[in-house]
Amino acid sequence: MCVLCGEFISQIHWTDRHVEDRVGENRGDYHRYRRCDRLHRVAVINKVLCFYGLKVQDWSGSKYVLRDNKGRSELVQDLGSLWPVVQKLAGRPLDPLDPILQAALDETSEEPVNGGRDG
Amino acid sequence: MTGFLGSGKTTLLSRILSEPSMRDTAVLVNEFGKVGLDHHLLRRGEERTILLEHGCVCCTTRGDLVGALLKLLDEEERGEIPALDRVVVETSGLADPAPILFTVFTHPVLQHHYRVERVISTVDAVNGELHLDLNLESNKQVAAADVVVITKTDVAESRAIGALHARLRDTNPSAQITEALFGEAEHDVLLGPAPPLSSIGPRLVGADRRMPANGDAPHASKIHSTSLTFDGPVDWTAFGTWFSMVLHARGEEVLRVKGLLDVGEVGPVLLNGVQHVIHPPEHLEEWPDEDHRTRIVFITRGIRSEELLTSLEAFRCIVGARPRLLEANAPV
Repeated sequence: MCVLCGEFISQIHWTDRHVEDRVGENRGDYHRYRRCDRLHRVAVINKVLCFYGLKVQDWSGSKYVLRDNKGRSELVQDLGSLWPVVQKLAGRPLDPLDPILQAALDETSEEPVNGGRDG
Repeated sequence: MTGFLGSGKTTLLSRILSEPSMRDTAVLVNEFGKVGLDHHLLRRGEERTILLEHGCVCCTTRGDLVGALLKLLDEEERGEIPALDRVVVETSGLADPAPILFTVFTHPVLQHHYRVERVISTVDAVNGELHLDLNLESNKQVAAADVVVITKTDVAESRAIGALHARLRDTNPSAQITEALFGEAEHDVLLGPAPPLSSIGPRLVGADRRMPANGDAPHASKIHSTSLTFDGPVDWTAFGTWFSMVLHARGEEVLRVKGLLDVGEVGPVLLNGVQHVIHPPEHLEEWPDEDHRTRIVFITRGIRSEELLTSLEAFRCIVGARPRLLEANAPV
C-alpha cells in the first residue's frame, strides 16, 4: 500500500527489485539506498528523455512525475508504466534501436552518470 | 515442462515421476490419455486465458493455472495433501510458456508462494528441426527453456541428432541441452540443483537462423541469438532503463534474455526473462566461476545482433561500459 496515495501496489517492477528486496535490512540504510537509487534513476532516464523533450522527477519518493515542455504532466509508478506515458506525451513511438536517438546519445557525455556503479 | 506436439513431454514426465524423490510433487497437465500418468496429485486444467487490457500475448494471466495453484495451496494448508516440494506444469504442445511465468510472477498470492525453478522443453530428434523451421511456438519453447531435452534419440539418425544439437545451441546458447533415450533423461539435469550458471555463454554468436534449403523463409526462421559482454562493470539501473525501454518498444521481438551482469559489486546480477516476463533479478553473493565478466544472451525475432550492439554502444554514456560481441566458441 502506498502511504501517500493509498494505492495498493501488488507488483514490484523487476528494475526495482534490487532496492525493494533490501526492505528487511537496517531501515536507515534501506531508505538511504532507495533515495539514492531513485535520484540516480531520474538522472539516467532524463538523459534519454531529453531527446523527446520530456523530463522526469521523483515525486515524494513514491512515484515519478513526467512533464513535457507544454506543462502537461503525468504520474507513473515505475519504469514499466513510464514508457507508455512517455510515448503518449512525446506523440511518437519510442525505440532504443532508433538510429536518430542513438546519434543524439552519442553526442552526450562519454562519462557515465555514476562511474559505472549502481547508486 | 513444455514441448511441441508429440515431442515426448508426457513420456518424459511419467519417467521422472517414478523417481522416489518426486513423491511430494504435484503435476498440472492439459491433456490426458496419451500415456497414463499414475500420480496422486495429477490435476487436469482446462486451459483458460484472460487477456489483460492492452496486454500482449505473453502478458496474459492463465486463469486455469491460478485456480489450480491456489487450490493446491489451500489443500496443503488444510492438511488434505502432503506438503509439496514442487509443482510440475505440463503445457499443451502449442502453448507459449511466457503466460505461465507471467501468471506466477504477477498474481498477488502466487508470487509469494511459488517460484519458477526452471523451464524444461522437449524437442523431438526426428521432427524437431521441421518444427523449428515452421512453427514460431516451437522456437519460443526452446528460447524459453533452461533445459532442452532431445527426445526419441533411439529412432533418429546420429547425424540428425548432431545437427539438432547445433541448431538448439544456435537458437538458445544459454540452455543446457541433454538427450533422453526411451524417455529417460538424467534426473539431476532435469530436477536437481539449478543449471550451472557458468553454462551461460555462447557456442555460436550473432548467429542468424539459416533459411531452409527450399528457399522459403517462414517467420519462425528469423531467430537471432546474440551473446555479448561489456568492457567493464555496467550500471544496473541504467541497464534496466535501457532494457525496459527495449521491452516496451520491441518486446514481442525479444524471445529471451539470460545472463550474468557485472554491476561492480562482489557478485553478479542474474537476469532471466522470457519475452516481456522478467524473473525477479537476483543479486548473487559471488560469481559461479573465475570469469567475472558480464555474459548475456539475447534471443530475438527480427532484431539483428548489430542493432542490439549499436543501441548499447549509443547508451554507453549511461550504462557505463561498451558492449562487446563474444566470439564464436570463445571461452566465457
